[in-house]
Formats: sequence, structure tokens, C-alpha cells
Amino acid sequence: MSHLTPVTRRTALAAAAALSVPAAARAAVAPTDGGGLGTAEAPIALRMNANDAFAKMWQTVLIPEFNKKFPHIHVTIDGLPYSEHLTKTLLDLTGATPAYDLICNDDPWTPQIAQTGALLDLKKDCAAWTDADFDWNDFYAAPLAASEWKGVQYGVPLRSNMLLMFYNRTHYKKAGLPEPTPQLTWAEYMAQAPKLVQDVKGEGKVNAWAVSTYFARDQLTPTIWQAILNANGGRLLDKDGKAAFNTPVGVATLQTFVDLLKYAPPGAKSHVFNEELTAFRQGQLATMFMWGSVFRGTAIDPASTTLKPDEVGVQVMPVGSASAGTHRGIWSGEISRKTKYPRAAWTLLQWMSSKDGERFASANVGSFPARRSTLASKPEFPWLAPVFATLAQSYEVAQKGEMWRPRLAKSDAVQQVLADEVARATSGEISPADALKNAAGRIDKLRL
Amino acid sequence: MAPAFLILLAVLAYPILYTVEISFSELDLATFLPSEWVGWDNYETVLTDERFWHSLKVTGIYLAFAMPLQMVLGFAIAFLVNAEWRGRGLIRALFLIPMVVAPVVAGGLWRMMLDPLWGITNYLLGLLGVGPLDWFGDATLAMATIVLIDTWRWTPFVTLIATAGLLSLPQDVFEAAEIDGANWWVMLRHITLPLLVPIIAAAFVVRWLGAVKMFDIVLASTLGGPGRATNVINLFIYQEAFRGLKFAESAAMSVVVLIITMVLTAIFLRASRQLEARY
Repeated sequence: MSHLTPVTRRTALAAAAALSVPAAARAAVAPTDGGGLGTAEAPIALRMNANDAFAKMWQTVLIPEFNKKFPHIHVTIDGLPYSEHLTKTLLDLTGATPAYDLICNDDPWTPQIAQTGALLDLKKDCAAWTDADFDWNDFYAAPLAASEWKGVQYGVPLRSNMLLMFYNRTHYKKAGLPEPTPQLTWAEYMAQAPKLVQDVKGEGKVNAWAVSTYFARDQLTPTIWQAILNANGGRLLDKDGKAAFNTPVGVATLQTFVDLLKYAPPGAKSHVFNEELTAFRQGQLATMFMWGSVFRGTAIDPASTTLKPDEVGVQVMPVGSASAGTHRGIWSGEISRKTKYPRAAWTLLQWMSSKDGERFASANVGSFPARRSTLASKPEFPWLAPVFATLAQSYEVAQKGEMWRPRLAKSDAVQQVLADEVARATSGEISPADALKNAAGRIDKLRL
Repeated sequence: MAPAFLILLAVLAYPILYTVEISFSELDLATFLPSEWVGWDNYETVLTDERFWHSLKVTGIYLAFAMPLQMVLGFAIAFLVNAEWRGRGLIRALFLIPMVVAPVVAGGLWRMMLDPLWGITNYLLGLLGVGPLDWFGDATLAMATIVLIDTWRWTPFVTLIATAGLLSLPQDVFEAAEIDGANWWVMLRHITLPLLVPIIAAAFVVRWLGAVKMFDIVLASTLGGPGRATNVINLFIYQEAFRGLKFAESAAMSVVVLIITMVLTAIFLRASRQLEARY
């Protein structure tokens, strides 16, 4: 049995950690030239993680394009399931010898990883290797801010996603309703919803519904309510990190979210990403609130959708008392402080987030751009034009209404509380008012 | 002995002791090391958290339905499979399939089959005029669905143990009873079941230790919902730790659950020994 008290045990741990620092530091400190860009004889190998929904596509389509310009930087991209992504990244980067040189971080995670000191400050640490024509000011403020924390820029946007409203023109026409516009209000939307529950196949029974979205007990479910809340001028947290949503506006907007279920298909209470997407692509929904990146697979690619390109419309989510709605979901590229090749890693990120990289990615791998110049240019395919226009508008809307998850080290903890309580409201277990009261109490105990 | 002891220490004792240490500390998320000794604070937080008790209750409901169902079905199927009929070898082999299907695949598969929009189950029930049933959206049905999927996966395991037990029973006792004119019910009631008691008890304890770990099926099918209707304790601990980042409180919960499990397992083992002695 150990005779160490907790304090002495901690001291011993700290001493052991201190003793191990020089060795770890020796292994981790990069050469002064940043490790270079590799040569044919001595190529550089970089390892990156990314969400498994797009990691393979990046590896097989995006990296070969990058290698046309930088043939001696070999990049391996590991796909991680979303549910394990943050934990695995955190455990890896805080270890003595991380496996990853670069990471791909979802919107709310930068503060949590940055607080461990594991990330490079791109504007400061990588300044010497930044291309002269790399224009930071060309990015829209909202997507760039996803990888900024406490005044430090840790990343660049690689896959810019926003929550948008997709709609099926055929269903609106069949219901005798005007096609939605970005000026559509929540009141108008809810008034039209009953008519969109209809028989679109002439079967004599209802076979199409007005809406589906995230309704299940999932961390992304509250983002739909948050978009409605923000559109009506509500906020999740105040400047002191206290819950600010337990208000009449909060309760009313959560009630709106719960009311969507009245016009959703059977089983919608357990819907998350896949179910709503499949239902829309099979022509069973008039609208869905979904991430913009699914547009290609929903409207264009016949291998994944039954809908025709001219059938699918996309726009920002309906307008509340303050503005239209949306919610930011940016995947950003960031660099481990312990990589031996920071220059090569930054070269990869610069290319992926450059105008050339963005144009290639949006046309070939479904990753949307974050640069003003890219979104203002003529896209490679005509179907991208309305998507680009909608994205540009959603960035402005998100920036104005601060429509994103909390920028805190405990962001996921806040989202989990909201997921728990919002799910209790959608299931009918408790009222929206009680759900928000519970959520506010629990969030205030998190000591944000 | 020494190598075995060291291996046991590394793979069993260390993780448990580390969990216990974390449960009495505050965990520094930047280093993943315990940073401050907080005594019983984490345990106090956990034991006064209504959500913890609710998750235990949900787990209890699941176990109360799943365990008896799987035991009864498992042994009933074993009796059928044990009878002489052509093709029983093939059926025995087919029974093993659900056990080797990955839980995430099983959860996804059942989600598809039970989906109210596209699932075959509601389609078939619809032909009989039943439904449509919202298998994952209705709180009661969602729990029933979890029990159903778990039963589909693990009844074959019980059947396997029961079959082995049945094959090991002494045949001369049954032959003597048959000569004495005993019918199948009398033989089942007074010979087979008493002789099977040790097997039933062992199967129950082994299955109990598996069932109490329920996590993956729920994660893959209901995410603990609707509301918190299927939020079993292991999913609750996982979400509190890896989503809520409350690693220290989650460690305390794990220790509490470990103690409850050990106590209940000891009770079951004692009861099974008493049953063995009685029969």
C-alpha cells in the first residue's frame, strides 16, 4: 500500500512530469526552418484527423490535388467518428508524442483544446511561412472566428457549414403555397405547415410531411432551437457565462421547435441527421433544417437522391423578430504545437483554405468556402450559385446574431445539458418552460 | 505467480484504482491528471443528483424485463433444440449469429427495421391493421425496443449454456422415470428443472454481468431517449464524462455502480449456492 498522501502523490507526479519535460521537449521542438517542405529523397509525412464523414474524400480527392503543388508532403488523414472526435484529439494532443501534426476541429472545440496549450498561434508562430498573398481579411468574419479564442487565431476554416432551410418546390406547388423566400417568417412558416402535410403521390393518404430535423436526444438537436432563439433576439449565455435563455422568448421559441413535431413524419422524435436527410431525399418532406454541405447529395447526385436539381431550394432559416436564422458549424484546420513539421502543416492548411483550394473543394468534395472572393466568384457549376449566395447571407446573419455554440472550454458540457432538457421537452416529458428552467440551473452550476 | 499477478495488477487493479483516485479528486482537463484532493465531494454531488438515480431506475427497469425474458426464452429454445429433429445442428449454428453481430450494427439494423417510415416491421403490422407504432419515439415502446434488441442478441447465449446443461443431464434418471410412468410435465417439474438449477443459476449470473453493462445498443438506437426514457446508467456516465467533461463525478458514479454490481452479484452467487444445496 502506498504511504503517499494525495498531496505528496501529486508532488511526485509533478516531479516525474518535470523530469520528463526535457526529453519530450527535445522530441517536440521543431527545427528553426519549420521542418521544411520535404524533398524527393526525404519527403515529409504529416498525419491529420478529420470527421469520418469526409476524411476519406479529402484523402482520395483533395490531397492528390495538393500534392500536384507540394509533391514531397505526404498526408495521411484519419477519419474519426464524431462522438469520439474531441476526446481522441484532446488525449492525443496532450500526450508527450502526439500522433497528429494537424487536427480538424468542429466549431465549438477550439477553446477546449487551445486551453491546454497544444495548438500553434497561426498568425504569430507561423508568420514566417505565411504566403504573401494569403489574405486573412478575405475570410468572412463568422467562419474565421470559429477557430479564434481569446484573441489568438488557432485555425483556418476548411469546411464551412451553416444550418439552412432546404425546401421541395414540388411540395409547395402541390399545396398551393408560394415558394419560400429568405423573408419567410416563423409565423408564416408555422401557418403554412399544416398544408404541407399532404398526399403528394395520389395514394389517398398522407405520404409527405412539412418538416423534419434533429429532434432526438443529440447534442446537435438544440442548435435548431438556438437558431430560432437567436432569430428572435434571444441569447444562450450572458457576458458572465450565465444562462440567458430562460426567458419568455426562450420558452416561446422552444415551444415553436416542439410544435414542429406536429407536422413531422411518424417517428420524427427519434430523428437525427440521417433520418431527416433520407426522408427529404426520398421526397417525403417539404422542408428540412440541415447543414448546407448536404446540398450536392440532396439535389444533384442521383446516386443519393430521388429529387431533381430544380426541385430543391435552399435559403436561410425563417425570420424571427430580430433577423433570419442560421447556426454556424465550421470545421477548422489547426496545428499541433508538438509537430516536427509546422511549416509543412501550415502549407497544407494555407492551400486548403486558399481561394484555389476552396474552389477545388467546393466543386469536388462538397466542402464550402469561407472566403468573400470565392463566394463572390462565378462557381464551377451552376448549381453552386444559389448555395454560394445563401452561404454568404448566412455568414452575415450568423455574425450579426452571434449564432454559434458557446465559445468556452466547457462548450460541450453546455450542449449536453441543452440536449438533455430539450429532448425532454420534445418527448413531452416536461414542458418547454420546465426544460429551460432545468437547463439554466444546470448550466449555472457548471461555473463557466 | 509473479507474472500473472503483475498482469492482473496492470489490466484490472490499475484502472480501478485510478478511477477511485479520480473520484476523490478534481481532474485537470489540460493534463488529464488529478489536480486537487476533494474528499467525498464528488460522491456527495452524485448521490444528490436526481438524474443519477433516474438512470439507475431506468437500468433496473431494463434488467427487470430483459433478464427473465432472456432466461425463459433461452432455456425454452434449448429444450426445443435439444429434441431430436432434422436440421437442429443448422439451427444451433444460426442461433449464434446475433451474438457475433457488432452492437452498433445491430442497433442500426433494428433502427431500420423498426423505422415508422421505411421499416418492414410497421409495414407487416400495418397489413394486420396494427400501428403505425413509434418504436423509438414513444417512451414505453422505446424501452421495450431496447429489451427486444438485447433479447435478440443475447438469448442465443443463454440457449447455448442451457443446451450444454441439458446434454450433460444423466439419461438413466429420465429412463427410470419413463418406466415409472412419468409424463413430460412431471419429468420437467421434478427432474429436469431441479437438475438444471446450477446451470440456470450460473447462466443468470453470467448474463447479469453482461446485461448490467448495457450501453452500446442504447447508444446506437435511442441515444437514451425519447427524453431520458432509455438513459441507462452506463450511457449516463459516458455522457457526463465525455460530453459534460465531468470526469471526476463520472468516476465517482462508476465506483458507486461497481459497488452496487458487486453487492448484487454476491447476493446472486449466494442464492445460487443455496439453490444448488437445496436441490
